[in-house]
Amino acid sequence: MASARYVARMPLPVNRRTFVGTGVLALGALMSPAQVSALVQEVVASGRGRFLSAEELQSLRAVTARLVPGPPDDPGPGALEVHAAEAIDLLLGAFELDPPKVHAGGPFSGRDGGSRDDFSHFVPMDRLAELAWRIRLEGSRGLPEREFAGPVVGLQQIYRSGLARLDGLARARGGSGFASVSGTLQDELLATKEQTVERFFTAALANTLEALCGPPEYGGNHALAGWRGLHWLGDRQPRGFSAKQVTEPDPPLAADVSPGASAALRANALRRIAPKLVGTSASQRWPG
Amino acid sequence: MAAWELARAGHPVVILEKGRNLLPGLGGPGPVGTLFSNDEVKAGRFFEAQDPVLEPRTLRTQQEAREGIARSFIGDVNGLANVAGGGTIHWGAKVPRFWRHDFKGRSLLGPIPGAEIADWPLTYDDLEPFYEEVEDRLGVQGDRSRMPASTLAQAPRRHEFAMRPNPPMYAGTQMAHAAEQLGYHAYPYPMAVNSASHDGRPACDSCGFCSGFGCPTLARGDAAVSFLHEALRAGAELRTRCVVHRVDLAADGKRAVGVSYLDERGASRTVRADIVVLAPSAIETARLLLLSRGPHHPDGLGNRSGLVGRNLMFHYFTVGASVFTERAHAWRGPSTTVTLDDFVGPVSGAAARAAGLPYFKGGGCEVGGGTLLLEEANLYAGAGLSGTALTSLLRGLALRDHIAGIQLNGEDVPQLANRVDLDPKIRDAYGFPVPRITYSSHRFELAASSYFGPRVQEICRTAAPTAETEVIGAVLGGSAGGHAGALQTRHIMGTARMGEDPRRSVADPFGRLHEVENVHLADASVFASSSGFNPTLTLMALALRSARSITR
Repeated sequence: MASARYVARMPLPVNRRTFVGTGVLALGALMSPAQVSALVQEVVASGRGRFLSAEELQSLRAVTARLVPGPPDDPGPGALEVHAAEAIDLLLGAFELDPPKVHAGGPFSGRDGGSRDDFSHFVPMDRLAELAWRIRLEGSRGLPEREFAGPVVGLQQIYRSGLARLDGLARARGGSGFASVSGTLQDELLATKEQTVERFFTAALANTLEALCGPPEYGGNHALAGWRGLHWLGDRQPRGFSAKQVTEPDPPLAADVSPGASAALRANALRRIAPKLVGTSASQRWPG
Repeated sequence: MAAWELARAGHPVVILEKGRNLLPGLGGPGPVGTLFSNDEVKAGRFFEAQDPVLEPRTLRTQQEAREGIARSFIGDVNGLANVAGGGTIHWGAKVPRFWRHDFKGRSLLGPIPGAEIADWPLTYDDLEPFYEEVEDRLGVQGDRSRMPASTLAQAPRRHEFAMRPNPPMYAGTQMAHAAEQLGYHAYPYPMAVNSASHDGRPACDSCGFCSGFGCPTLARGDAAVSFLHEALRAGAELRTRCVVHRVDLAADGKRAVGVSYLDERGASRTVRADIVVLAPSAIETARLLLLSRGPHHPDGLGNRSGLVGRNLMFHYFTVGASVFTERAHAWRGPSTTVTLDDFVGPVSGAAARAAGLPYFKGGGCEVGGGTLLLEEANLYAGAGLSGTALTSLLRGLALRDHIAGIQLNGEDVPQLANRVDLDPKIRDAYGFPVPRITYSSHRFELAASSYFGPRVQEICRTAAPTAETEVIGAVLGGSAGGHAGALQTRHIMGTARMGEDPRRSVADPFGRLHEVENVHLADASVFASSSGFNPTLTLMALALRSARSITR
């Protein structure tokens, strides 16, 4: 289903209507792969983000836990267990490290055959890749060389303003911040029909899912908990799959017989995504 | 393609590539490496794909154009890989040949009201030797003995494929059996994927991160490893991150003298040449010709016909899906290993008359494809799910392990109003007007999708006939006149069609501009029809034929 695959390739959210943004990140020292993983651990332990403040990180953790819940509401692992907020913090401050932690290296990770770990060696950016990702992360900031197609609000601002707004809404409802209010109220606040919240929600959900489902080199999928919890083997090269693994179905998992993994649930999944796969109906659009 | 032919014939060749080179060692004496991997995050972050932040495109429907709306979308519109090797760097490597009637639609099948049905200025037999030569270089797997007689009558093959088919993917095999029960004829998809070592590259190991991903083992043949590598070794020079923005002409406007471009530092440069070959894909070719307007070509280079940018064609996708009880892992393998041609058409009679058409056509099917993990998660997110509603589906392995699809790649007829022009306002990072796409489906596509969709669905229902089976109700593909299809498809054709008559075409039968004979078009911009088959093999064969007209 190539059409479905390209849905997943839509750009990270870019909003061209407004421009906000301050501060310039300093270029940090060269970091080796091991140091990057240590940095994420440090953020987890300290509760203070590399880009986000401690308060922002706390709120973001609470947000990601509603988007991808873990225990006790859900069998998990959820966003907290895979370190989704810390991975997002790493992305937002990607240019603090050199090379920026945006595109992991290749071809192999060493997890599935071979002894090489290429993933940890992030791919350096050239001038144009850096321009694209500075615009995407930092926004256009009124700089002429970034506003060729109009102003762009960067992800840093989308996160900062979204978290600030959610904290403010939570305080107006008697809490001390987003993380302090009940899950039910958190869901209600996340559904606020305001541009600041909506664009934040879209970005946070996309990035949380990256941290749940993507390779651990990006800071998420901590200890491969995301892949293990979802029965996913992850990157498979250079081993790949045997002919038998391709031509025959996989043995059933315990999960397959649990009520949560019923055929009815799968049918529901298909119904939910079908409109995305097939687009709008002919009668709505014809003649064009 | 052209560089491979010209450099090996001893011509000095400079290749100006807009993207980076992500294949270390390409063109060098040693083995070619790769920075691609089984990494959905990287693929989604425009590692190799055209980044819409730098190079947005704009889009509107025909109706919006009539209402004077300048654009209704800005962003990623059909971006292909922006990298040395182009779109083939992350292609699915499906290489069916076009059929005889695709080249002679007007004379064999006849006109369609509101569409620009035309014969190509060449036949299947003219192109057949170039199909063979390109396939030989790419390394193609398949099984001629299992191809339907009707396919071989339309697209005859003189020789068996170079390699046997890959291990057939489980879900695709189940769907193939279902198709056979219903009287259809499924067969192994011809693919430029190694099933055995070939050309110094290994056999495919079915990792599943295929279409949409650069290959981590180079088991897939493509424009880079199969052609560009040899071209560079034969002396061609590759300059990456060079953005060509104008074809420069001699004072009389009748010959090109070279091109102007921005180099990797953004500096303005020119290169002089006896022959200019353009191959930036159909949308960008039209844009470059329009950007190259001048005193002798006021409406764009070679555009006296007014057809540059027009007759833009996409394939639409009509998708059906089966829900399997067993863990069918439809993502595992080289995207899909099974195809069927029973829905190509043409269909005439009552179904066509009901749509007000003399006939319509569908296309070939990709049978048994699936989704990867992050792709599945993003589909749920895109459908408005989050929280436990999303995680319960993910934990149930719903899509990736249990659901498989059949995708019909439908023929799109050319229309004058489906076009590329220069956006009047939006510019790219290089300062040039971005391509604006105006697109709506013709009732030809809608009728075909409505007709073949239920047949696709019937195969899906037969393949997984349990009580719990659910089949997508609506199967009309994305490009139903709206944006979804135009955004999703990566099959882009037309915009500078070839023909004998300079009043009705932009390029001649060898891809040379009618008005500027030393400018060759070597991509799918020259297609006069889209057929219902994956276009890349045909565009490669045409490019080679065009280049051969220079070297012979």
